[in-house]
Amino acid sequence: MAESSEGEEEGKLVGGDQQLVVDDDLCEMAKKAAWSVSSCKPGNGVLSLRDDNLDTYWQSDGAQPHLVNIQFQKKVKLQLVVLYVDFKLDESYTPSKISIRAGDGFHNLKEIKAIELVKPAGWVYISLSGNDPRETFVNTFMLQIAILSNHLNGRDTHVRQIKVYGPRPNPIPHQAFQFTSREFITYSTVR
Amino acid sequence: MEAILTECVQNSLRHFMYRNAIFMCERLCAEFPSETNSQLLAVCYLQNNQAYSAYHILKGNHMAHSRYLFAQSCFKMDLLNEAEAALCPPNESSAEIPNGAAGHYLLGLIYRCTDRRKSAIYHFNQALSLDPLLWAAYEELCILGAAEEAATVFGDAASLCIQKQHLPHGLGSKSMQASAEDQGLISSRNVGAEDLSPRHLKNIHGNSQRDAAGNYHSAPQPGGTGSQPLNGGPTTLSFYSTPSPMAAASQLSGVAPPPICRNMQINGPNSCATGADSSPRSTVNSTIQAPRRKFVDEGKLRKVSGRLFADSAPRRSIRLATGDSVANTNSNVSTVSGNGTNHSSKYLGGSKIATGSVRPVTGRKGQSWSNENFDEGIKHDGYDDSRNSSTTCSSPSSESRSLDQEGPTSAAGVCLSGSRVAVGASDLLALLRILGEGYRLSCGYRCQDALDVYVKLPQKQYNTGWVLSQVGKAYFEMVDYVEADHAFNLARLASPYSLEGMDVYSTVLYHLKEDMKLSYLAQELISTDRLAPQSWCAMGNCYSLQKDHETALKNFQRAVQLDSRFAYAHTLCGHEYVALEDFENGIKSYQSALRVDTRHYNAWYGLGMVYLRQEKFEFSEHHFRMAFQINPRSSVIMSYLGTALHALKRNKEALEIMEKAIMADKKNPLPLYQKANILVTMENFDGALEVLEELKEYAPRESSVYALMGRIYKRRDMYDKAMLHFGLALDMKPSATDVATIKAAIEKLHVPDEIEDNL
Repeated sequence: MAESSEGEEEGKLVGGDQQLVVDDDLCEMAKKAAWSVSSCKPGNGVLSLRDDNLDTYWQSDGAQPHLVNIQFQKKVKLQLVVLYVDFKLDESYTPSKISIRAGDGFHNLKEIKAIELVKPAGWVYISLSGNDPRETFVNTFMLQIAILSNHLNGRDTHVRQIKVYGPRPNPIPHQAFQFTSREFITYSTVR
Repeated sequence: MEAILTECVQNSLRHFMYRNAIFMCERLCAEFPSETNSQLLAVCYLQNNQAYSAYHILKGNHMAHSRYLFAQSCFKMDLLNEAEAALCPPNESSAEIPNGAAGHYLLGLIYRCTDRRKSAIYHFNQALSLDPLLWAAYEELCILGAAEEAATVFGDAASLCIQKQHLPHGLGSKSMQASAEDQGLISSRNVGAEDLSPRHLKNIHGNSQRDAAGNYHSAPQPGGTGSQPLNGGPTTLSFYSTPSPMAAASQLSGVAPPPICRNMQINGPNSCATGADSSPRSTVNSTIQAPRRKFVDEGKLRKVSGRLFADSAPRRSIRLATGDSVANTNSNVSTVSGNGTNHSSKYLGGSKIATGSVRPVTGRKGQSWSNENFDEGIKHDGYDDSRNSSTTCSSPSSESRSLDQEGPTSAAGVCLSGSRVAVGASDLLALLRILGEGYRLSCGYRCQDALDVYVKLPQKQYNTGWVLSQVGKAYFEMVDYVEADHAFNLARLASPYSLEGMDVYSTVLYHLKEDMKLSYLAQELISTDRLAPQSWCAMGNCYSLQKDHETALKNFQRAVQLDSRFAYAHTLCGHEYVALEDFENGIKSYQSALRVDTRHYNAWYGLGMVYLRQEKFEFSEHHFRMAFQINPRSSVIMSYLGTALHALKRNKEALEIMEKAIMADKKNPLPLYQKANILVTMENFDGALEVLEELKEYAPRESSVYALMGRIYKRRDMYDKAMLHFGLALDMKPSATDVATIKAAIEKLHVPDEIEDNL
């Protein structure tokens, strides 16, 4: 997991990457999930968050906190959330305080991560892991990204892209551990 | 004018000037509308890849050749029903299939594409019997899993057949004999030959063939394909139904049969004999030729002829068999000589021919039937025999002499060409036999046997693209990717523009994780032929190796579009869908692959994996079992079958299969690991630990081995060892999930198991 290029200070994330770089053993988990937002301006809806186009953005149109809800079909292990936001382009629309919540549904979401962005400019990586090795992943049905406040106290927010990552499933089903050595991997599948 | 136009069109076709051909042909059809001319126009269009035009022109025509061309165009346009109706009209079930072997082959393909396996097999077999050089039909039979042994298919009968085809007159028989002699080399053929020889003998001599008959009897009939009935020494020239020209000659042959027969007999045991026979025949002249031809045509005759020399027939056959080793023809010679002794005088020619190179023999045979030299010297015998035989031949029959006189030279000439054809045919068939056997074995996934067979090929044949890529495929099926890589590399050097088997090569490189080589291969293939499915398969494999499954999928879909009858492209699509977790489409792709080729075990395996992932264990077991039945030697499939059984809680069976898998391929660590897993489930911890220790030796850097051992130690409450092994597992840099699991396991080391979160 790559953190922002400028380092991190206790829940504050500064800067951002221009290139999205993610570990090989992570894969994007939210392709089949149901995405929804608390409010949006016509023409800048939720689709812009997933269209792989950094020029289009989602613009909220209501009261804070602005919410992005991601509901999965089954419980998934998640490890990383990546946002593309740009202070230079969006100025007062750029999110500042973000809270990430997880749970089974709207009724029992619990905050798992709180972060503050300082003038971000690019991809911002937010890891969901805890300190305990048992908490490397968050196993959940639903993820909610709440934007609590913006830079310069803006009311609405712009987010250009969101991606959610989790571990790749074991290519060999019904297997406790993944194979690492070449001898095993060569023999492990028929293509 | 019609003739001129026709000539012009055919000339243009020969020189690939299709526009000219089409234009001229249209004029021809307009000026002289006839079915033949419209056939010609259709041919022009077909050559120019405009099957639709040919379709419209030929629709409704009933001439045999028209029906065949119409069926071809329908097949190209994928209108299989119409193609089938054209070749095999439903209301005229007894109608002759147009164009013989080619028609049967096309019909077989149609049946195969429409899933009518039995009919397809029947027609391919028919095609092969009509034209033994129709390799494609044999290939299809192998793919369907219903091919007979190459030795029988490309045996004496085949040789006789070819002879007949290539030698319009009795020569054919001679060649057949020669070929028969060659055939004799192969034991299986020997059998055939033997059968033939007696028959030939009978036919040839008719009455005077006592020798023959004698030989016939004496000759050990290895296979005695029932030619035995010839014993009657029937003057059955009719026996040689095949060569009609012979029939004509038979009249003459009647005169000379005895000598011929003898010769034949002499040659009997050895295919060489046939060669020898041919020579005598030449001397004997047309009449003799006739009977000989029959003899020869039978191909088996050669063998038979070997037998004819019955006296030493057994010996001869043995000699032949041993002699054969290298040159088919030669062996005959040796045998011939043996027999010759018996009939020495008469069968001079015969014996000689058999031995030694048929070719040289044939040459000589014409000259003389010097059967006298029945020495084993393969070549020499033949020559001598021929010389002797010629003389002897001439001697015995005055009439034949007369005949001889008329045609000694011509006969000789005929004999020569006949024997040449015979020799050529036998050589070719010998080659096809090896290739056919190899291909059949590799289709049956008996890869080591196939490799052994291919090694028997002469060097220059071995170093061709097709053979090398077959060798590569065989290594691939045996999961020996390094050797496969090597073989495919040579194949590419031998024929850099051939795409056959390159999809398998790309998979080999994928398994070896050679991304540079793979991308180079893919680029080369695409630049060679953008429209071949193999190139896109290679490209897709390249992207898949880099884990870009979506692009890989696009490439495989392109391959499917280019050729929907290419089963492997469908299977690869399926693999990519599964990697993208789109199981529905994955299943669909695998099923399309199976629709094209039921024996494509990769697709069965893929389906098994999908169901395993979806935890539908019954289905998964069924599919793995189907894959296993098709390829019972793959240790990977066996170990997955075991995994599925394990999931179904049938642990005993699972263990059995795992044992088999371990035995099948010692280098495969997977079944050992799975065996350990099963033993853990069965709570046989010591057994499991033993197996894992063994695995540690084999793959010391495999983290999952240590992780599993750690787990076992934890179950046994041996915490120190568990800790050690978990630590080692972590050192091997496993994936993030595993790191998490292992670390969690470490934390919970002293916590009882129930709470643990095992997969």
